Amino acid sequence: MIVRYWGVRGSVPVADAASLGYGGNTSCVSVELESGPRLVLDAGTGIRKLGQTIDPAAGPIHVLLTHLHLDHISGLLFFAPLFHPEADVTIWGPPGPGDLRQRLARYLSAPLSPVEIRELPAHVTFSECEPEGWRVGDALVTGTQVVHRGPTIGYRIEEGDAALAYIPDHEPGLGQDLEHDPAEWISGHALACGASLLIHDAQYTEEEYRGTRGWGHSRIADALTFAQRTEAERVALFHHDPHHDDETLDAIAGEARAEWTGDADLSFAREGEVVELV
Amino acid sequence: MAEQQPLDLILARNLMTVLEVPSFLVGADGHLVFFNEAAGELLGKRFEETGSLSRDRWNEIGPVDPHGNPVDHTGMPLRVALREGRPSHGRFHICTDAHTIVEVETSAFPLVSNGDFHGALVVFWQVEQ
Repeated sequence: MIVRYWGVRGSVPVADAASLGYGGNTSCVSVELESGPRLVLDAGTGIRKLGQTIDPAAGPIHVLLTHLHLDHISGLLFFAPLFHPEADVTIWGPPGPGDLRQRLARYLSAPLSPVEIRELPAHVTFSECEPEGWRVGDALVTGTQVVHRGPTIGYRIEEGDAALAYIPDHEPGLGQDLEHDPAEWISGHALACGASLLIHDAQYTEEEYRGTRGWGHSRIADALTFAQRTEAERVALFHHDPHHDDETLDAIAGEARAEWTGDADLSFAREGEVVELV
Repeated sequence: MAEQQPLDLILARNLMTVLEVPSFLVGADGHLVFFNEAAGELLGKRFEETGSLSRDRWNEIGPVDPHGNPVDHTGMPLRVALREGRPSHGRFHICTDAHTIVEVETSAFPLVSNGDFHGALVVFWQVEQ
């Protein structure tokens, strides 16, 4: 399983030169499975560049949306395969009021968009996550609702011995003792437990969190505690705050590594980075 | 790995931990899965001591009549919420851990999300004599 980061930024894309070391595009991660099909996690602005690298006729593409906040879907209309008649794209997303196609159409329609969903040339299917999980190639995909504002899914993708947990927008520490509460009561724990790689929200510093508690994102300390509880083998902190430039993120990463007492390899995700899970 | 509880139960429990009104949380199967500190003070036991309670064990607390004898609980708010999936309110007596009979008022709310029933949140308070 090959994991590649196309967008690691949270909330809104940034184009400041001082932030491009980590990258300015919003959430998008591609997963190439050993068994063939391609998975795309979220459709933030990072999906535009990914779309340019995909042969739209090469096989089914599965886009797994964690939720429908703009920073996770705003790249959809710039995803080249959607404009190719031979492309076969399935868009998965969280259950909610109204079907997924209808909910996405609120963005992919006038006055917000010049192109409507029904005009997309590709063969596009919209599916809400199945609670029991589903197969894509040889991989098992599981989606579970997690703590964030609005219906939000975290994903676990297992193929062979490799397991990827992707929970980019998540505030498990809200009203929860992450260190001591039973694992079954911690949002996202089952998804991430023992994963080869956990990609997790770490948007805020301690100081910022005082003013953003309840917004659905983690302070770094909570992300670290959560990661330690899950015993994931690798941890990539993700959904970087748009106000954090490279220098700030380097400093935050240094402090996080100093605090980190887990066994996992801890990193701060960077756009363009590739991780191979075996 | 431990399977995650439904998100609405997790969120309800998180809310209850910061509430000063006594409240408890019941799963879809009728097991009591959590009660908060305020409820613990009224009942005379803490959740950290008891952990989850089966329906039978929970029934020992109530409802009872003013003399502590068990009464029919078919129409009790929690049972209505679990059975019919609608909010319900009522007044009855419970027996605390110190064998004191206390009259309480209770409101029970079913927890249903995306068409799935996950249990009920119950708040209760002692009726002032």
